[in-house]
Amino acid sequence: MGNFFDFIIEHLAQFLQFTAFANMTVGHVIMICVGLVFIYLAIAKEFEPMLLIPIGFGILVGNVAFAPGYQIGVYESGSVLNYLYFGVLQGIYPPLIFLGIGAMTDFSALISNPKLILIGAAAQLGIFGAYCLALALGFSPTEAGAIAIIGGADGPTAIFLSSKLAPDLMGAIAIAAYSYMALVPVIQPPVMKLLTNSKERLIRMKPPRAVSKTEKVIFAIAGMLLTTFIVPSGLPLLGMLFFGNLLKESGVTKRLADTAKGPMIDIVTILIGLTVGASTQATTFLTMKSIGIFALGAASFVVATFGGVMFVKIINLFLKEGNKINPLIGNAGVSAVPDSARVSQVVGLEYDKTNHLLMHAMGPNVAGVIGSAVAAGIMLSFLA
Amino acid sequence: MQRSIKCFLSGIAVLILIVAGARIARAQNASDLKLNEILVLNDSNSVDDFGMHTAWIEIFNSAYNTVNIGGCYLTDDLSNPTKYWIPTGDPATQIPSRNYIVFWADNQPTRGIFHLNFDLKNSRTIALFNADGKTLVDKVDLPSEHKPDVTYGRPTNESTEWVYLEKSTPGANNDYTKKKSAGESFVEFDPYGIGMTMIAMFVVFSALSMLFIIYKNMGRFFIRRATSSNKPATSAVSTSVKHSEEEMSGEVNAAIAMALYMYQSEFHDEENTVLTIHKVSRNYSPWSSKIYTLRKSPR
Repeated sequence: MGNFFDFIIEHLAQFLQFTAFANMTVGHVIMICVGLVFIYLAIAKEFEPMLLIPIGFGILVGNVAFAPGYQIGVYESGSVLNYLYFGVLQGIYPPLIFLGIGAMTDFSALISNPKLILIGAAAQLGIFGAYCLALALGFSPTEAGAIAIIGGADGPTAIFLSSKLAPDLMGAIAIAAYSYMALVPVIQPPVMKLLTNSKERLIRMKPPRAVSKTEKVIFAIAGMLLTTFIVPSGLPLLGMLFFGNLLKESGVTKRLADTAKGPMIDIVTILIGLTVGASTQATTFLTMKSIGIFALGAASFVVATFGGVMFVKIINLFLKEGNKINPLIGNAGVSAVPDSARVSQVVGLEYDKTNHLLMHAMGPNVAGVIGSAVAAGIMLSFLA
Repeated sequence: MQRSIKCFLSGIAVLILIVAGARIARAQNASDLKLNEILVLNDSNSVDDFGMHTAWIEIFNSAYNTVNIGGCYLTDDLSNPTKYWIPTGDPATQIPSRNYIVFWADNQPTRGIFHLNFDLKNSRTIALFNADGKTLVDKVDLPSEHKPDVTYGRPTNESTEWVYLEKSTPGANNDYTKKKSAGESFVEFDPYGIGMTMIAMFVVFSALSMLFIIYKNMGRFFIRRATSSNKPATSAVSTSVKHSEEEMSGEVNAAIAMALYMYQSEFHDEENTVLTIHKVSRNYSPWSSKIYTLRKSPR
């Protein structure tokens, strides 16, 4: 009988060793709290819930401490999470998300006023500003490139580039990119207000003209060819973006477009969010580098907003009265679609209740998607 | 009829383009294989799987995909291109991307598929032929004199020049010197990232400027076309319709869209607080059926 109890106690003790309680560290607790904050922000504040719920829950999943060697964690070969994480590691999910983004994006605002494209280019200054800062802080060139892309305000692009340049930092970069995208309404308005005067904020822009279907179809094809001929390394992202857009604009592949912008992008968003969240295991995530990445991410958003707004102010010097652009849409050059365009609208309405900037801001906003993918391609060509 | 002829001609044109393209495009197959390193006199160099010091030939797969060398031919006599047929169907003949494979030139083909039926004692040329036995994939002329244990090969994978190598590297890269990564090289010349910023911003602006220029001009073209095609119709349009079009500017649309969005968001929030439970009227379900959950008793 005594032997039996010894046996039971021994196995119970062994079982306890396998529980998360026995393997828990302070780091895991901190990360679980971070995950809970993400979920709170998503549900209570509605900050990017589509992203923050999967990522937040993924953080919880990734930080349930377990005894290694049982094919459980995202980093353990052969585990289910590891298989799902493969799509992140190999850069499979981001192009699929771009396909969906292409299928749901209307480039009309951009086509009707092509000079807004250039604002999307100017806002990429955030990426390269962050690159310089990251180098100054002692990050290696590839790490600096991967971190810098946070300034593009594009989660899939950030994941794609970091999977190629600095896979070790991917979790932190993705979390920073998505967090700051959710915080666009907090980060951008002060910079926009600081850089503009009351007269500029009241500029009224001409309503965009109607764009024909032919123009939209040509845009999808010409856009892909032009951008990828210049930066072929951006092909996975840009090719899929414009392909998705062609599915939408051709008008004859409605079913494919609906799938790309509906079930497919939803599935991929779930997988990418959950696995990126799960990749933030405390043991690999809680480092000084991660803190640096978060600081640089915030700085890059500020620089990107600065670049976009200042560029509009500069080109306004050369534009005739009546053709001027409201600099409050400069912030929309980052590719957080449509959050940054909404910020332009909201800030614009603060100064003039009848001046609606949303449609104008969508132009640089979608140009920002193209711009950040091009910038990622350049980083890849130079640093990989 | 005319439409069918047009379709047929278009099909032919596409076919011609595809065939021409396939010939021009660099396919990633056996044509990507390269003779890479050769050791003629093996006194104390690598030993084969029988422990013998024999001459060897290394082949490099320069493609970015796996290439199967099975079915190709190795020879030291151009007049006999099919001298040694590399057997097919063996997984060992699959050369992974940017990887290497070594053949032992010992004139002992019975020792395995990587043992050739010739040696290199009197060879002046080594060639690799495609599976058709006619298409030359790669060839190298060997020098008349060889030093023992010194290999003859390409100094780097991409090199077209052949030299005596300081170090023999069977099954590995001939270029063993430490290399800086692209990023490290870039930072060496641009430690603060200013150059990168300038170049990259220039490229981003160039790419998007091209789009801008094209679309600015294309927009003009489409506006002109729309204006010219609308002219006769304009007179027919009543004043009231014109008025309504003018009134419904993009800004108004944006305002309506925004208002709808905000209204729907708020509505959604309120709705979320209401918990509704509908009773499912179906009483029967396979989940509760004993037919599906219990085994039949054996007879």
